[in-house]
Amino acid sequence: MPRISPVTGRYVTVDVDDIQYKVFYLENGSGQPLVCQHTAGCHNHQWRGLLEDEEVTRDHRVIAYDLPRHGKSDPPENTEWWKEEYRLTADHYTKFIVALCDELELDQPIFMGSSFGGNVALQLALRYPDRFRAVIPVEGADYSPGFYLDWWQHPHANAAQVCASGVWDLMAPQSPEADRWKTWFYYTQGSEAFKGDLYFYSVDHDLRDKLDQIDGERCPVVMLTGTYDYLTTPDDGRRTADHIKNAHFIEMEDIGHFPMSENHEVFRRYLLQALERIGSRSATAQA
Amino acid sequence: MTATASSSTVPVEEWVRSFTDASDNDPEIQAHGKYFTCGYLLDMENHHFVVRMISGRVAEVAVDPGPLDVGYQFAIRASAETWRGFATEIPAPMYHGIWAATFRRDMKLEGDVLVLMQNLRCITRQIELLRTVRVPV
Repeated sequence: MPRISPVTGRYVTVDVDDIQYKVFYLENGSGQPLVCQHTAGCHNHQWRGLLEDEEVTRDHRVIAYDLPRHGKSDPPENTEWWKEEYRLTADHYTKFIVALCDELELDQPIFMGSSFGGNVALQLALRYPDRFRAVIPVEGADYSPGFYLDWWQHPHANAAQVCASGVWDLMAPQSPEADRWKTWFYYTQGSEAFKGDLYFYSVDHDLRDKLDQIDGERCPVVMLTGTYDYLTTPDDGRRTADHIKNAHFIEMEDIGHFPMSENHEVFRRYLLQALERIGSRSATAQA
Repeated sequence: MTATASSSTVPVEEWVRSFTDASDNDPEIQAHGKYFTCGYLLDMENHHFVVRMISGRVAEVAVDPGPLDVGYQFAIRASAETWRGFATEIPAPMYHGIWAATFRRDMKLEGDVLVLMQNLRCITRQIELLRTVRVPV
């Protein structure tokens, strides 16, 4: 028997702000849609463990897309994008995610993202609370300054290795070495997008005076943060959740900023807790 | 959080030998360190060292050099307490790398940081070797 994974990949065309994108996504499973955003400068292989996790995919349709300019999703199809500096904004990012979910005809998806995906999950809960059943911000916070750095694209250094080794410490020493090196390898591929992504992460994203406008009853918010994350620490996650009505915070032990990619076996235990809290797991699955 | 101290402080001369051996025999540094040529200061509060690398091999470790004795391009400075946190098999959070300790502890990256960035992969690995060779402070 050929050892073919049940995970499939497809392309979908998405229009947002008069820009057309051809978006690549991986998916597996059926039931409640669970839309997954990778971290800045990376791509959807970070969700490789989740995409093949039978306990999750038996009642969730897991969809992990490549944000445009990442992985197999090209930059805009209809603009001369090479004549502008890429700087991702909260406005465009959130509109894109909603447009993608519309194009895929998803009904009340759960949105989960890590790092700049965790931050945009908070933005979605603020801007589009009725479009999502819940959001799961992973390694997110109200504000995360300090990572919009010129080093990611310095012409006198090897950007691939600066990006990859620059994020190495974001992972926990307990995480399997092979999975940390896969994550490192992904980060050698995305330096051009990384800095522009971090414009959103460290500059444009600032919800410090807006957390009270997020209603965790209308759009449940379950935040997950690892103890080895030096950018958005558990204290940052807890503080953020404390200021959102009805939000819940879960601290993840012995894991870092790329939990789904560096150690899915540890991450999944906390994710199952989050999904149980949201109520998306079937009775059979929870038994 | 307080870092777990090493069980005992390694004598300086012994540390220089074990650090040099660990680096020169490390498969990763030897596989990827062809251009790992630079000099940097490790300031550990109670001792400081200038490590001079040539093509991935330790050419010299100067122990407590005088102010103008030995040149270097960049410096990694932290308290002895922080370095002790690095010197455990599984460091506690924020003692697990120079970026983490710089963002969240008292570590400072100074001098020509571009040279650090140019050699980041090998430096990162070399600092992780402290988990086994410990620190002399």
